Formats: sequence, structure tokens, C-alpha cells
Amino acid sequence: MRPVIKWTLLQRRSSIIWWCAGILFFVFLTLVFYPTIKDQSAQLNKSFDQIPQTARQLFTDTNDLFSPIGYLSSQMFYLMMPLLVGVLAIGQGMSLIGREERDSTIELLLARPISRGRLLLAKAGAGLLIVLLVGALATLFTALMCRLVGLDIATANILMAGAAVILMALNFGAVAYLLSAMGRAGRGAAIGISAVYALGGYILVSLSGSVSWLSWPAKLFPFNYYHSNQLLSGSYNWTNSLYFICVIAGCLLLAWLAFRRRDLLSN
Amino acid sequence: MSEAAISIRGLSKRYGAGRPFALKDLSLDVMPGEVYGFLGPNGAGKSTTIRLLMNFIQPTSGSAHIFGKDIVKDSVSIRQSIGYLSGEVALYPKLTGREFLDYMADLHPPRRTGYVKELSKRFSANLDMKIRDLSKGNRQKIGLLQAFMYKPKALILDEPTSGLDPLMQEEFFILLKETTKAGGCVFVSSHNLAEVQRMCDRVGFIREGELISQQNIAEVAAVAARTFDITFINDVPKKELAAIPGAKVLKTGHMKLTISLRGDLAPLFKVLAGAQVAGISQQEINLEEEFLRFYKKGMP
Repeated sequence: MRPVIKWTLLQRRSSIIWWCAGILFFVFLTLVFYPTIKDQSAQLNKSFDQIPQTARQLFTDTNDLFSPIGYLSSQMFYLMMPLLVGVLAIGQGMSLIGREERDSTIELLLARPISRGRLLLAKAGAGLLIVLLVGALATLFTALMCRLVGLDIATANILMAGAAVILMALNFGAVAYLLSAMGRAGRGAAIGISAVYALGGYILVSLSGSVSWLSWPAKLFPFNYYHSNQLLSGSYNWTNSLYFICVIAGCLLLAWLAFRRRDLLSN
Repeated sequence: MSEAAISIRGLSKRYGAGRPFALKDLSLDVMPGEVYGFLGPNGAGKSTTIRLLMNFIQPTSGSAHIFGKDIVKDSVSIRQSIGYLSGEVALYPKLTGREFLDYMADLHPPRRTGYVKELSKRFSANLDMKIRDLSKGNRQKIGLLQAFMYKPKALILDEPTSGLDPLMQEEFFILLKETTKAGGCVFVSSHNLAEVQRMCDRVGFIREGELISQQNIAEVAAVAARTFDITFINDVPKKELAAIPGAKVLKTGHMKLTISLRGDLAPLFKVLAGAQVAGISQQEINLEEEFLRFYKKGMP
């Protein structure tokens, strides 16, 4: 298993570096202007209050948009960070097995004494490490930037929020991974279904606060179990994370069932 | 008689219900030390057979064993002893040849260290360039290296010499000989008849998913048409020669004639005894025509 992880990471090193650079730049840009906004927070909050509640919920899960927690939640942890790390995870989920199969290089790997289950697990491990690396780096850099710009939030809470982002992104990636492990039919739908699961879920969960009948279907989506405001204030109930863990484990199990005996695609 | 290294019984593959069989009821044995050529036109079922043996696809029915192990249940353990090369060699374009071989060696360490280096020297393989920058022939060399680097007991090769120059083809044939001499067997698919003639002990002809015939190369050669170039001192007895049963006059020139003859040679020498012959030489037997006869025999 270790060689597959090692060589997958080596082959993807330049893309990992670009992802790290991009996400760090995003964090920097988001936080570097906080000192200028900080002084006008009362005024800005007043303007923000005039936006209808339904629309407001698309940007944040707090009413105080420009307090330290409100700012970090709305500008980063509520949507953008989960979206960025989620896109990375979906990309990895789709390509780890999918690209190898499309390029027929999977035959080289499976011509060695390695079972399909182990290959699937090793590739998932590589994907996990990539998402973990980029997500952790972004979180640590956020914590550092918060200190530098005077955004007063406990570092432990920022790290917890980062961990939840990574978990949720892994959810999206796991769905994409399952679909690509299913072969031709799944691979075609992988990007669409994963995007609906991620973005559609976000919209549904955001609106469920105002539209009561959406609250039940919202329970099916990961955003329902992710509350950036609570995470940053240290009041998050971590039993919510069981949803993420169950979905990831379920997707891996289903991926194995789908992949272990199916015909590999040929060019 | 020793046990077959590769034993296939009633192996069939259908890609979905209602679709025709890509491979139908294939049964054959490949013995240790044997090079078995699998011949057929494109789409005949050669690659399907190879992909079944490698467990890349699942059989619809039937079974196959390699060294007594089931290709489905024991596929991981079987791959300890197999070297495989696919028809369209797919490698990692961003890696150099050396990095790629290191990756493969990490997954399945070669039995003898230094053998990869030795092989790359024999094939004059460029291991320092990125694979995407290599020519088709050089990529094929890397593909062959990864198949041979374990000194496998069985080689399963799909169109192995594609893109190789004649010198490297020769090296490849030598390597095959070394494998079979050590008791290994080779299952090789090809539609290059000259290549099959050069390397195989036995051939199976497949067409539309069905095995039409299996022949020993020596047997094919024994019944093959022989071609003679004959030079005469006087007139060429063309009529008499053309009348010989199984004979076909291929070319006539000034006091020269080329004739191919299938079967008994006595009538030819009888005619030649009555003529004044300056010289006679036999061309190398070309099995290509014989193989084509098998294809045609199977045609509806």
C-alpha cells in the first residue's frame, strides 16, 4: 500500500504545491483587510441587517457579520474554505482511480501482486493525505494570519473549524471516489452528483432556516452538520461529525464492493 | 507429461446480456517452456483472453488456471509469477523511465537486484528522459523491462514487439528463449505472422471469439508450401512443372523459374531430371501464407 501512496503523492506533487499556494493566497487576501473592516464593524453590520434573512443565510450562519468570529465564519469557514477544499477533494476522488483507469495505467498496478481492495484503500489514503495537507496548511496559516491581523479567536477553535472543513471536504471526495470506482456510468455522473451533493446541499441547508419544509431533506447533506460559527466559538457538538465519518466509511465500503469484481475499462 | 502452466477450460466472455460473445468457450493449455502464440485479426478476442487471464475482467463462464491457481480467486498470488505487457503500453508520462521502474519495483521487488540495470543495458533503454518525451519504440522498451524485471515464470504479452527496431526485436527473442529455457512459459498475442513464426512453438488461431485451430509451428512448417528458384541451361519446362499436383509457378524469366510446391517433392525432381538444370535453391519457408490459409478456412 505504501508504494502506491508514495508514488501517487510524488506524481501529484506539482498540483499539490499549486493548491497550497492558491489556498494560502486566498487566506492571505481574505484576512489581510480585516484591520480596515474591524473599525467599521458596527456600521457594516447595520447595512447587512437590511438584507433579507433568507439571503443573509447564504453568506453566514451568524447575525454578527463583522465580529472576529462572524468575519472569519462568513468570509472563510462558512463557504469559501469548504468550497475550495471540497473542490480539491472532489478532483482527487474522481481522478485517483478514474484517471488511472482512463489512461489504462491501472493495469500496470493490478498486474503486480496487489489486490483491488488494497489498491482502492491506498489510493484513498493518498487522497486523504493530499486533502489533509492542503487543508491543514490553510488552517494553520489562517491561525497565524488571525494573530497577525488581530482577529481575536482561540487558535484551538480555528484548528477545530479547519478539521471540520477537512472532514466535510473528505465527504464530497468520498462520494466522487465511490462514483468513479463504479466505472463508466458512475464516472460520468461523478462531477455532477458530487457538485449537487456539495453545492446543492449548501443552498438547501442555508435556506432551510427560513423554509421550514426544507429542514428534513437538508438533513441528508453535510452542510447540515457543519456549523462554522459554533466551531469558531467552541460550542460545536462533535457528534455531528459522526455523519461525516459514516458517509466516508460507507462510500469506501460501497466503492470496494463496486470495484472488487467489476471489469476494468479498456481503451 | 508435466502439468500445463496455463490451462484454460471453456472460458467465455460477454460484455453484457444480449451482446455477442467476445470470447466463446476457449480451451487450451500452455506447457512450461513453451511459447504459445495467439493469432487473430483485430477484435478476434486476443486481448479479451489476456485481460481475463490477468483478472482485469471477469469471465462470463468457464475457468482458467495459471500454475494450478484459479485466475479469479487466486489472482493476487498468481501475479507474483507473471510478467505482463499490454497491447497499448500505457505508462506514467510525467515520470522518467527510471522513476517508473522504481515504482514498479516498490510494488513488487525484483528477485535479483541489478537485473533491471542489466536489462536496460541490453535494450539500450533511456531511463533518464520523461516517458512523455520518449518515442513509441523507447516506451515499448520500458514496457518490456517492467514485464521481464521479475524474471517471471509466465509472461503474458500483447503485441510485444510493436515499435521495436529489428535489433531490439532480436534482443527480445533472445530474452524469450532465456525465459523458456529456465522453464518459463509465454502466452503472446500478435497479428504479426512473421513475428509469431520467429518466436512461437505453437499457435492458436482465433476468429470472432472462437479458437479455430491450434498448430505446432514445426507441423505447419512441415506441410507448408516450399518455394524453389530454378535456373535452367536450356528451355524452361514450364508446362510440365505447372502440371505437377500442388505446384504453382510463381515467376518465370529467361531460363529461370520460381515454383511453389505443397506436398510430395518427387514429381518436381522427376521433371527436373529430364531437363538441364544449372542450379536450384529453396527459399526460406514463409509461414505467413500458411497462417492465412487457417484464417480463410475459418471464414464463413
